Order: sequence, then C-alpha cells, then structure tokens
Amino acid sequence: MRPLPPFMHSSIAALALGLGLVACATATGARADSSASPQFLFSGFGTFGVVHSSERNADFTYTAVKPRGAGFSRNWSPEIDSLIAAQVSASFTPGLSAVVQVIAEQNYDHTYRPHVEWANVKYQFTPDFSVRAGRIVLPIFMAADTRKIGYANPWVRQPVEVYSLAPISTSDGLDASYRLQLGAATNSLQASIGREDKRFPSATAKARALLTVVNTIEHGYATLRVSYARARITISDFDPLFDAFRQFGPEGTALADKYNVNARLMSLIGVGAGFDPGPWFVLGEWSRVDGQSIFGRKSAWYVGGGYRFGKLTPYAAYAAAKADNLSDPGLALSTLPPHLAGPANGLNAGLNELLGVKLVQDTFTVGARWDFVRNAALKVQFEHTRIGAGSTGGLGNLQPGFRPGGSLNVISATIDFVF
Amino acid sequence: MRAAAPITQPRLSIALGLLLGLSVGSAAAEVVVVVSKNSPVTALTREQVVDIFLGKASRFPDGTRAVPIDHLEGSALRDEFYLKFAVRSPAQVKAHWSKIIFTGRGQPPQEIANAGDMKKVLAENPNAIGYIEQNLVDASVKVLLAQ
Repeated sequence: MRPLPPFMHSSIAALALGLGLVACATATGARADSSASPQFLFSGFGTFGVVHSSERNADFTYTAVKPRGAGFSRNWSPEIDSLIAAQVSASFTPGLSAVVQVIAEQNYDHTYRPHVEWANVKYQFTPDFSVRAGRIVLPIFMAADTRKIGYANPWVRQPVEVYSLAPISTSDGLDASYRLQLGAATNSLQASIGREDKRFPSATAKARALLTVVNTIEHGYATLRVSYARARITISDFDPLFDAFRQFGPEGTALADKYNVNARLMSLIGVGAGFDPGPWFVLGEWSRVDGQSIFGRKSAWYVGGGYRFGKLTPYAAYAAAKADNLSDPGLALSTLPPHLAGPANGLNAGLNELLGVKLVQDTFTVGARWDFVRNAALKVQFEHTRIGAGSTGGLGNLQPGFRPGGSLNVISATIDFVF
Repeated sequence: MRAAAPITQPRLSIALGLLLGLSVGSAAAEVVVVVSKNSPVTALTREQVVDIFLGKASRFPDGTRAVPIDHLEGSALRDEFYLKFAVRSPAQVKAHWSKIIFTGRGQPPQEIANAGDMKKVLAENPNAIGYIEQNLVDASVKVLLAQ
C-alpha cells in the first residue's frame, strides 16, 4: 500500500471524528432533552442528477475538480450533480457546538470516497457573535457555502461563470461572525483566516494566508452583500514548465517570472444582491479576480429570477465571463536555433493550454423547479453557452477533435432532497 | 425611520400569493402571534416576527432574547403562519433552513405539537414567542399581532 499524502491523513482523521459523532448520535437518540448532556442532531441532503452535453469531443464537468462529465465520457452523465451528504451537529453547552459534514460525490481522482466538507467547533459568545475553529466552506460568493445543497438553490447549479472564478472553496482556520440589528435591517459581518489544499485531477492548488471578509445586509425581502478574499496561491505541479522556460535566457525567465504559480497573490471582490418577496425572486452577482501568474484578471456576473406558480417555479438566468489574456506568443521561435525551436514550441503550447482554461463566454439558462413532495424538488434545466474564441469553456477531457470557441448546449435533470 | 409604504406592499404580495395558489386551501382559523402574559414585549411588526422565526433576529426590539417556538412541520397552522406572515411556502421555509443548518449556522426553532403545549412553553419562558389559532387565545397569553 502506498503511503498516504499528509492531507489525506487529516481528511481521514476528520472523517473518523464525523463517524464517531454519528455513532454517538445514534446511541444517544436524535434529540436529547436535558440541556446538561450533549445533544446530537443528524441530518443530510443530496442530489441525483443527469446531464447531457452537445460537445462530444470534451466533457462538461461544471468544476475542474471532477475528471469525468457529460459529452465525451458519457452521453448522459450522473457524475456531475449527484451527491449525498450527511451531517452531525453536536451541542455541548449553550455556547459550545460542533458540526461535521461529509459528502460523497465524484472526487478529483474519480473515486466516490466521502470527504469532509465542514468540520468545526463553534463558540457562541452572544446570540450575535460567534467564533469557529476548523474547516468552513468560504462564502466568497452569495451561494458559495450552500452551492452543493441543491434543495436550497433555485437552479440546478450556480452559474459557472462566477462560481469558477476562484480556485479556492474551503478554509481550514478560524472565522468569526458578528450580527448587528440596524433599525429594521440586519447586518452580518463574517471574517476568516486559514488555508486550503485543493486537489484537481492533475494538480494541487495550495492557498496560504487565505483571508476573507464578507458583509451582508438584509432588510425585509432584500439582501445586499459585498465580499473580499485574498490568498497566496501555489501550484507546484506547474513548476517544471516554468523551470524549462528559465533555460531560455532572459526571455524565458521573464515569461516564467510573469506566469509562475509560486506563492502568487490572488484577490477577489464580489457584490451580490437579491430580492425575494415570496411569489417571485431576482438575484445577481458580479465578481472580479486579480491574480498574478497565469490567472490574470477575470470578471463575471449573472442575473436571474423566477416566478412561483404554487409548487412550480420556472426560472431564467443570464451569465457572462471575461478574462484578460487567453494566450501569449511565448518564446520567439524565429530567433532560436532549429534544435531548440521544437522544445520551445512545446513550452509555448503548454503555457497557452493553461491560459486558455479561463472562461470567456456567456450562458442563457431556462429551467423549472417542481416541489413535488415535502423535502424534495425536481428540476429540469437547459443552458446555451457561447464560448469565446480561444477559450476551452472550462471543458475537460479535451479530445483531438475538440476546437476552442463555439457553442454548447447542456440539458440537466435533478432531484434534490433534504432529510 | 420606517416609511409607510412597506406596510401595503406585503398585503399586495399576500394577495398575489393567494391568487397564485400558494394558499393551503382550507379556511383555517385566524393565526395570532402570542407571548406569555408575563412577557415585557407589547407589540411587534410583521417584519420583526418574521425575522425572529426565520433566525435573522435573536432579540426583541427591547434587546431581550427572543426564543421562537414553532408548530410541527406539516401542520396546517404552521403552513398558514408562514404563508400569511412571511409570504413563504413550506418548501421555501424548508430551503431557507437548509441553508442555515448545512452551513452550521444554526438550527430551526423548537417544535411543539399543539396550542396547549405552546401555552405551556410560553408560560415557562417569558422569552418565548409562538403562534396559535385566535379562538384558542386565553388569559395566559398576550396577542402581539394578528394576520
């Protein structure tokens, strides 16, 4: 058996803690009455969904974390949206509580091994001020920390244009929340500091000095929020490429210095707003990422809404993303001797493959949600995406026949549930 | 600070909601929001009641702790309460709490089975706030708001 990388040890330890809590909860009974003894609550959610994509030479995966999707790997893929999550919340004293949430879904290595999504201990100093230590999902976008709870979301999945802007999603560290009543409005301020190691199929992104600040104002049916995040990002899997560039003198060194991903600063700002008076809703977000390295500057926004006809909620949304530089001429081949031009051409191609991953596209979405029973909803959704020239549209498993740009149609059907 | 306009708007939304079939369909008794007769709280707006029951506010306007008490999920009275006061269907309320529970931010209010249990909990805890059918109001409770 191969030795496990360190991050898996911590993951397994957290999972063991979670399973231990589940066992305790089962033994204690779901709802204990005495406030003196710890109380455990078990709950969960999940989605079963299938997705079809019109692009047969690549996979629509929604997130770069998932190696398989719809299009090339499968005509209809259940591997994009399907997941099951179990959570145990424990309350030890009136102020002290803990939560562990484990999710089984397609992982970066195409296994379905459950991973720990949330695991933290919270101390509630007052009803309006709390501090948590452990793993949290970062609320850098309006629905970033609830994106996997299909039942809680109006559409099948959050618009990829905005939600794929940042390569980070969780933070292992500390976070604090403070809520303040301002007349009829509620203001919530949340700040966190931590770190994350995020695994992708062919790389690991390490975020250090990961800092986020989110402020949300709610007044009646209206919500307005602003968010800021920054981190030092390292993807050492790209080092060999940039080390090779450095063999090509000052020109290659300049390219490596510009694009390397070694403790490079990335910052994000976001603004979101929503209005939900009951029978209908609208919401929208705009966000911009300024990254040194291959990430560059990119921004995206969306606006969407729906109308509730009793248990049926048809909805529509529009999203758009743009990015700075999708390509770079790289090393000038004409000045190189023939025996170096070949390798240099290969390096340029490698660099441009990384740059072309950024989204430059827009998507029209229409769909409907049907709350057919209590605790479960059926959603059907159609998306049409126009991919900008030179962009691979975030698609994975690119096959020889694939051409960047063009358009994409995606059809999804999901059943979301909570328990 | 609060203008007059927001008072009419919810009524319009409620009317829209009813037109669109959000109603639970039965001509249920009128729901009233109640606290213990010993509670210092004398009046709340619809928005304040909704914020307390949806977990957005943890205190009454005077700063004392507010403890919402809910009826069991699936009860007609509960569906009526959220429809009339928050203009939210049972699925919308469920989705709202799903976001809070599965981000570790909190748990929904304690649930009781009937108006008798509600009055018992209110009598024991002056911070508690609940709702019952209007025809079950007696001297043990104080009505803060009718629909």
